[in-house]
Amino acid sequence: MTEPTYSTPGARFVDPTVLARIGSLNLLARTVVDGFINGLHKAPYLGVSVDFAEHREYMPGDDIRFIDWRVFARTDRFYVKKFEADTNANFSVLFDISRSMSFTSKGISKLDYGRYLAACLTYFATKQRDRVGLVTFDDDIVTHIPPSAKHLNVVLHALDRIQAGRPGSFEKPLFKSTEFFKRRGILLVISDFYDEPTTLIDALKPLSYGGNDLMIFHVLDPAEIDFPYEEAISFQDLETGLKMPVIPEKLREQYRQLVGEHISTLSKLCAENRIDYALFNTAQPLDHGLFKFLAMREKLSRIR
Amino acid sequence: MGFLAPLFLFGLGGIAVPVVIHMIQRERKEILEFPSLMFMRKISFHSFRRQRIRHWVLLLLRCAALLLLIIAFAKPFFRSSILATGFNGAREVIVLLDRSYSMGYNNRWDIAKDAATGVLNDLAAEDRATVILFDNEAESGLRSITNRASLTSLVAEAELSDAGTRYGPALKLVEGIFEESDLPRLETVLISDFQRVGVDSTSEVNFPEGTILTPIAVGSSDAEMSNVSVAGVLFDRKYFSGRERIQVSARLTNRGMASVIDLGVTLEMDGRSIETLTIDLLPNGSTTVDFSSVTLGDVPMNGVVRIESDALPTDDVFYFVVSPGQIVTVLVVGSSRESDNSNLFLTRALGIGSEPVFDIRTITVDDFSASDLDGRQVVVLNDTRSPSGQAGRSLAEFVETGGGLLVVTGERSVWPADSPDLLPGQFGTPINRLSRGGSLGFVDYSHPVFELFSAPRSGDVTTTRFFRYRPVTPVPSATVLARFDDGSAALTERRIGNGIVLLWASTVDSFWNDLAKKPVYLPFVHKLVEYLADYTPPSPWFSVGQVINLSSQEIRLSARGGSAAEYVVVSPSGTRISVDIGENTEFIDLKEQGFYEIHNANAVDDQPLMVAVNVDFAESDLTMVDPEELASMITGRVGGERTVNTDSTRFVSAEDLENRQSIWWYFLIGALLLFIAETVVSNRLSRTVMSTD
Repeated sequence: MTEPTYSTPGARFVDPTVLARIGSLNLLARTVVDGFINGLHKAPYLGVSVDFAEHREYMPGDDIRFIDWRVFARTDRFYVKKFEADTNANFSVLFDISRSMSFTSKGISKLDYGRYLAACLTYFATKQRDRVGLVTFDDDIVTHIPPSAKHLNVVLHALDRIQAGRPGSFEKPLFKSTEFFKRRGILLVISDFYDEPTTLIDALKPLSYGGNDLMIFHVLDPAEIDFPYEEAISFQDLETGLKMPVIPEKLREQYRQLVGEHISTLSKLCAENRIDYALFNTAQPLDHGLFKFLAMREKLSRIR
Repeated sequence: MGFLAPLFLFGLGGIAVPVVIHMIQRERKEILEFPSLMFMRKISFHSFRRQRIRHWVLLLLRCAALLLLIIAFAKPFFRSSILATGFNGAREVIVLLDRSYSMGYNNRWDIAKDAATGVLNDLAAEDRATVILFDNEAESGLRSITNRASLTSLVAEAELSDAGTRYGPALKLVEGIFEESDLPRLETVLISDFQRVGVDSTSEVNFPEGTILTPIAVGSSDAEMSNVSVAGVLFDRKYFSGRERIQVSARLTNRGMASVIDLGVTLEMDGRSIETLTIDLLPNGSTTVDFSSVTLGDVPMNGVVRIESDALPTDDVFYFVVSPGQIVTVLVVGSSRESDNSNLFLTRALGIGSEPVFDIRTITVDDFSASDLDGRQVVVLNDTRSPSGQAGRSLAEFVETGGGLLVVTGERSVWPADSPDLLPGQFGTPINRLSRGGSLGFVDYSHPVFELFSAPRSGDVTTTRFFRYRPVTPVPSATVLARFDDGSAALTERRIGNGIVLLWASTVDSFWNDLAKKPVYLPFVHKLVEYLADYTPPSPWFSVGQVINLSSQEIRLSARGGSAAEYVVVSPSGTRISVDIGENTEFIDLKEQGFYEIHNANAVDDQPLMVAVNVDFAESDLTMVDPEELASMITGRVGGERTVNTDSTRFVSAEDLENRQSIWWYFLIGALLLFIAETVVSNRLSRTVMSTD
C-alpha cells in the first residue's frame, strides 16, 4: 500500500499562517488531520462494537487484529473493519467567539486559530464516524448545530462564517448549552478564558455532568503571554472598552507572572475536575499542538 | 554678572516644558486594543505612573537652548574689575547749549551744535554727560549717561526756539546735577553767544568746589553786520465818514555795527501786502515807519510788519492783531436845571479818548425813561434825584442785567426810600470842610479804578481837596474803595446781579472839590466808566514766554464761547492743543512766534480768535559779555560739600555696561546652534524609532 503524503516527519508541522492562505476550510482540515493521523500509531477513539460499519484502508498503527483477511485475499490490499460503535460518539465544539478572540499581535487571530482547531477536530471526528456539532457563543449562544454524522459541511460552513463581535461571558451560554448535550459525548471548549479560574470551572463543570468527556483548548496570542510591548501606550480592553495608559516595561514582569498564575491555576483546577486542558499559542503550528494534546490524552485515557 | 532685564529670568520656569514633554511623549495618543485588561487592572496603579526620562541628550539640548535664550533676553553683563580700571578720572560733563533765537544770527547755531558734538566726542568712555538746551528756560534730556550716541542725536535734533536768553535757570539745573553726582571731576561747557541780556539772572548759582566751566563763545569773530529788528508797532485810530481807519507805525532799530541802505519794510494785513517802504538806518540807529491808513472792518485783522531778512531773521518780522475800536456808551442823567454846568467836566473828559471811544448822551432826570437805557452800558446819575416809578424800575433791571451805574452825589442828590434799592450806602447831609478841605485818606490801589495810580509818578489822587461831601453809610454787601481822611467812604462799590453800582460821595465838577482841575481827573473818570462798562483793551500782541488765560472774559467773548467751552489752539507751527475748560482756568504757554489760532469747538461759525505772538525784542541786542568773566563770576561762588564715590565700578551704569558688552548676542547664537543640534538629534531619533517599529 502506498503512503500518502508527508514522508518527511517535520513536514507535518505546517505553519498555521501558511494554512490560513488556503481558502477552503475543508481542505485545510484534511491536510492537517490527514498528516496528523498518518503518524499516529494507534487511533485514539477506537469503537468497540460488533456492528460492522465499513472497511477502511489499513494505516500503520492500526491493530492488525482488525485486518479483514478476506478482503486482503480478494484485493491484495489491507483493509480494516470499522464497527458502528465507533461513530456513536457525539463530538461537539463549543467555540467562544467573543470580541477578545479577534485579537492578533501578528499573524493569525485567536479566532482563526480556534476556527482551524475546531475544523481540524471536526474533520478528524467525522473521519472516525463521530457525529459532529457546533455551538458558538459570546455572552449568549450564537449558533447551535446539533451533532450529526452528516453535519461536517454545516459545521465547517458555520465556522467559516463566524465573526467575533460582542463581549463574551461563560456562565450563561455554557449553562444554556448543557441542555443540548443530554447524550454523552465529547465536548471541546475553545476560548481564551478571560475570567477568574474558579468562575470558569464553575461554568464548565455542568458540561461534564452528563458523563461528557470535556476538553478545553486555551487559545492565546503570544503577545498575551509574553507582553512584548515597549512604548508607553494606552491599552483598550476589546470587550469592555476600558482604556488604560500603560508603561509595558514596568508592567511586564507582573503581567507575565499573573498570566502564568492564571494558566497554572486553570490547568490545576481542570485536572481536579477531570477536564482535559491544553494551552495553544497561536504562534505555534496547529498540528503541533493537536498532536501534543491528543497524545497526552491517549496517555491519560490509559491511566483512566 | 548682572542682568539688565532680570524679570526675564522667570522664564527659566519654561525649562520644565521640555522635561514634561519628555515625560509625556512616551504616552502616545494611539490606542492599542488588547483582549483583556483583566491582569493589568490587578497591578497597582502607581507602578506604571512613575515615568522615566529617555533621550537624555535631547532633553539636555532643549533645556540648554531654552536656558541660553532666556539669559539672552535677560541681557547679561559682567561687572568685572578689569573693565572698571582706570576710571579714577571719570568726569561729570554737562554741555549747556544756548538755543535762544539770537543764536540764529548768521551761522552761529551750526557752529554751536558742532562745538557741542565735538565736546561729546572728546568724552572718555567712563565719563558721564548731560546735554542741557536752554533759552529763557532750561531743558535736559537724558541726565548723566555714558551713551554718547543718544546725546549726540539730542544735539543734532535740537532746534532754535523763539525765546530769549537767561543763563540762570540752566546754571541752576547744572548745579542740581552736580550736587547729585558722585564723580570726582565736574565740568560744564557753556556754548552760547554770551549776550549781556541773559547775565543778570546768574546771581543765584553756586557750583560745587572744583567745578570747571569752559565757555565756548560762538559768533565773537563775526564780521560787522547790520541787525535790524522790528521793535514794535503803534496804531493811530481815526474815524472817517463813519468808518474806522487805522494808521500803523513800525519802530525799527539797527543793533548791528553796519549801516543799512534801502531796506524794504512791508505791511501785510490779513495776508495781503498793503504797502512797502524803504528806509536807511545808521549803526545803532532807530526810526519809525508810517504806513498809509487802512480801513478796518467789523472783525479783527491780522497784521505783519516785515523787513528784508538779515543775519538774525527771527526779529525781522512783527505780528499783531488790530481789533475794531470799541465804543463805550454812556448816558449822563443830570438835574433838571437848564443853566447847570455840572455835566461839563464829565462830558468833556469822556469826550477825549480813542481806546475806547465814549459815546455820551446827556438827558435830564425828568426826561429819563426806560427807552433811554437801550444800548447803553453805563448810566451816570450826576447830582440829581433818583429816577422814580417805571424809570426807576427800568434802571434797577438795567443794573441787574449787567449795566453799570455811577451815582455822583451833590447839592441836589436825593434818594427817597421808595426809590429802587441800588445804592452801596445811604448818604446823609453834606459835611463842610471849608477851611483846609479834606483829602482821600485811603485808596484801594489794587482795584481796577485806582490800579493806574499805584505806580510812583503815575498820578496822585490824594492831593485833591474836598470841601464838601456827603457822609455815606455803606450797606453790608458794599465795598469801600476810597475813604476821606475822616474815615467817611468816598467811593463805594456794590454788585447787584451782573451789574455794578459805584457811589461817589462828592461831585465830579469843580464845585465841591478841585478834582476836575487835577491831572488825575481824566484817567480817573475814564477808569470809572471803563470799569463800570467792564471794558478790557484787546492786546494786539503777546510776547514769547507769556501765558494767556483761555477762560478769561476777553477770550470767552472773542471766541464766542459759553461759560464752559472746549477750545482747540493751533500754534504757528501747526501743533494742535485741545483745551477743555470746565471750572478751572486753563493757560496756554506761548512759545512760538506767529499767530496762534484759538478755535471754539462748540461754536457754530468757527471764526478763530487770533493771538499774535512776537519774540522778546531785547534778545536782538547781541552785545556780548566777556565769556571768561562770566565763567569766573559763576565758578567764583563756591557751593556746599558733596560726597565723591570711590567705587569706580559705579561710574558706568548697568545699561551702558550691557550696551558695550552685548553678551546677549553670544547667548542667542548659542541657543540657535543648540536648537539646530536639537532638530538634527530629534530627527535622527524619530527615524530610528520609526525603523524599529
